[in-house]
Amino acid sequence: MSGRLAANARVVAALGARSVRQTVRRPQLAAPLIIFPTLLLAIQTGGAGGAVDLPEFPDVNGFLDFMLAGAMVQSCLLAGNTGGIALALDIEMGFTDRLFAAPVSRYAVVLGRLAGTTVLGAFTAVWFITIGLIFGASIEEGLLGALWIVVLVASTALAFGSIGAAIALRTNSASVVQGLFPLVFVVLFLSSAFFPANLMLEPAASVAEYNPLSFIVEGLREPIIAGFDGGDELLAVVSVLGVGAFGLWMCALALTGRVRRGV
Amino acid sequence: MAAIETQQLAREFEGGIKAVDGVDLAVDAGEIYGFLGPNGAGKTTTVRMLTTLLQPTGGRAQVAGFDVASEAGEVRRKIGVALQEAALDPLMTGRELIQLQATLHGLARERGNELGDALLGRVGLTQAADRRVGTYSGGMRRRLDLAAALVHEPSVLFLDEPTTGLDPVSRQAIWEEVSKLNAEGTTVFLTTQYLEEADRLADRVGIIASGRIVAEGTPAALKADVGKPHLELSLADQNGNEARCTEVLARFGKPLPSKDGKLLVELEHGTSEVGPIVVALNEEGLAVESLDLVQPTLDDVFVAKTGEHLEGSEAAEQEPVAG
Amino acid sequence: MNARQSFEAIRALMRRAINELTRVPGAAIPGVLAPTIFFLGLTSVFGSLTLLPGFDTTSYQSFLIPVTLMQGAAFTGAATGVNLARDIEHGWFDRLLASPAPRPVLLAGLVLSASFRALIPATFLLIVAFAIGVEWPGFGGLALALVIVMGMGIVAATWGASLALRFKTQSAAPLMQAGMFLAVLLTTAYAPLELLQGWLQDIARLNPVTQVVEAARQGFIGEDITWAGTWPGLLAVAGLAALFTFMALRAMGKMTA
Repeated sequence: MSGRLAANARVVAALGARSVRQTVRRPQLAAPLIIFPTLLLAIQTGGAGGAVDLPEFPDVNGFLDFMLAGAMVQSCLLAGNTGGIALALDIEMGFTDRLFAAPVSRYAVVLGRLAGTTVLGAFTAVWFITIGLIFGASIEEGLLGALWIVVLVASTALAFGSIGAAIALRTNSASVVQGLFPLVFVVLFLSSAFFPANLMLEPAASVAEYNPLSFIVEGLREPIIAGFDGGDELLAVVSVLGVGAFGLWMCALALTGRVRRGV
Repeated sequence: MAAIETQQLAREFEGGIKAVDGVDLAVDAGEIYGFLGPNGAGKTTTVRMLTTLLQPTGGRAQVAGFDVASEAGEVRRKIGVALQEAALDPLMTGRELIQLQATLHGLARERGNELGDALLGRVGLTQAADRRVGTYSGGMRRRLDLAAALVHEPSVLFLDEPTTGLDPVSRQAIWEEVSKLNAEGTTVFLTTQYLEEADRLADRVGIIASGRIVAEGTPAALKADVGKPHLELSLADQNGNEARCTEVLARFGKPLPSKDGKLLVELEHGTSEVGPIVVALNEEGLAVESLDLVQPTLDDVFVAKTGEHLEGSEAAEQEPVAG
Repeated sequence: MNARQSFEAIRALMRRAINELTRVPGAAIPGVLAPTIFFLGLTSVFGSLTLLPGFDTTSYQSFLIPVTLMQGAAFTGAATGVNLARDIEHGWFDRLLASPAPRPVLLAGLVLSASFRALIPATFLLIVAFAIGVEWPGFGGLALALVIVMGMGIVAATWGASLALRFKTQSAAPLMQAGMFLAVLLTTAYAPLELLQGWLQDIARLNPVTQVVEAARQGFIGEDITWAGTWPGLLAVAGLAALFTFMALRAMGKMTA
């Protein structure tokens, strides 16, 4: 039994490494994760930076400090989307069939993809922390805060990756998953990723108040701009777990469905 | 007039790699010229230069009387090109593709439609003309590609591996069409992986290796060049008769070392000796169980000239010709 | 090839380019939706910026609409570059290059179709925008905005095409998209010049696309459309289109060199 577990773990690790390599080697896949969120971060910081002078804007060192958390969750959502596209491409090309035909758990095949997404998530967290520090932001909670951010961002990538994977498994179509790309921005704009929810316009402001993504963003933002806030961190963790549980459950349903349909 | 003529044609890429290194070709109007070469030998580079898709870095090339470098526009008007397997748009219908090709060649719309319909009929795609290319089989795509290359009635047709990957029936259909076009006067420059294809279609064959032409001639002459045909025979009763048999065979040609219990003899004067040999053996009272005449193949030529087998040659013929 | 033949060839190539939208189920949807989502999203998120002193416009929606229109055009144009790169990878473009059609004709078919395609997301976006109360820019203002949308479609398509012809691979797609993304947003896109951060102010001053944004914005923020406010934008569009067309044609020439 433990032998099979070890075998599956090796498969997950190998497939995770493959998916990371795939992303790093393909500019089309890497760009949405790093380049676009970084450009958007720069542009929004430069263009909307005056916002810190608005009454009711939280007390921050600079707008960049405020925006870092938004850039990170943006990367996570896009990583989930990109991972879903890559999985759907694997399905279209018949690569997953080869894996499903091998004596490994079907879950291991999906978890391998998610492992890759998680690693990429951790990488984006490190990237944005570095960018932030270079361009004058500071992390109030210090090193411990930075470590916490990396863990939380990686888990967020895993959680949204599971949703992307579930859609890929359900639809078997890369273009459908790709078509969901605009949806990523709907979710982002309806959260406090880019602006304090209380300063946003209605109806988006009200949605942002209850969007789980806002809770995750706040959990990432507090250690940067103020320091740990127990309540915010707890809400963030619960939200990540909730999104992840939902995504993995959808994956499980999709996988069982595939077995039943014989694909 | 030569349809294709090159003098010391050369192409050097960045980094000093000489893909084509001084090629002289002279393809007569109305000829089918088969162009063979292993991967990376300069085959594709040569074709791309002749079809104006790549400028030579040395030497000259004229196609249909025009220089490929300085008169590329004139060359493009005269040539038809069916270059690659996938160079079709899956979203277009067959008819649309032909019409686009006609428009690109400046044909008036009515004329293009008329010619297009005729060509689609000619390659047997009338039924499928309004279906998207994405739904076509491999054979249909090649036939469409061929039709598209013909829409402006080119005098020189370039076919790059026109039947690679096709089933035998589809391959046959393309061959027949190419033969027919050639009979109507079109010069055809054909690259292929299949020796059978070159053997069957080409009036002359050129073999390129490491950027240079290493052999050229009619398939028959090239084969004759690398070796003579030989006869393989086995006797109904081997015991003690072999020496006597070898003696008889030696009268007709040089005996070769026997193989798999068969006796081999190289025929000095070709296939005409098969009959006399059978008669002579019969007179000696030697009953023959089987008799095969083995001709050198283009693959033998290829190996002799390039040191490599042609890709796909295992699929090509090695069949002994029954005597 | 005479003018009529060239025109026919351009038309045929444009028709083929439109297939990407009309024959791939759902292909048009993200391109049409994305600018509208950005418009609704960005205005919801950053709408309070108008409260800042120095922001003379009261409606952030009216302020942002010209930018999102141009962004939509830019993405449509960049997609043309990606499609061309795919055509080059698949060998389809060899078919065109081996034909006697003049090289500018081959480029024009692609680029002009991008210019018309850019009107599709723009139309959808404008309908949504007017429905939620964006100020009516007047017929002159609307016409100017649409001309600029088509112009930016050409700029983005020639930019994308020059990269596609240079790199011959779809891997260049992020460069096509990011280039246009930056061109449009490193301007007074989000706020008036004085409210931008120092570094962005400097870039926006130098970026010719700032002139385009400002020209397209005139009618929407209730200003009169003046020639003085318009010609720098039109000149910038024409200049960029000319530059990228030159780059694309040179890259096309190099493909066969």
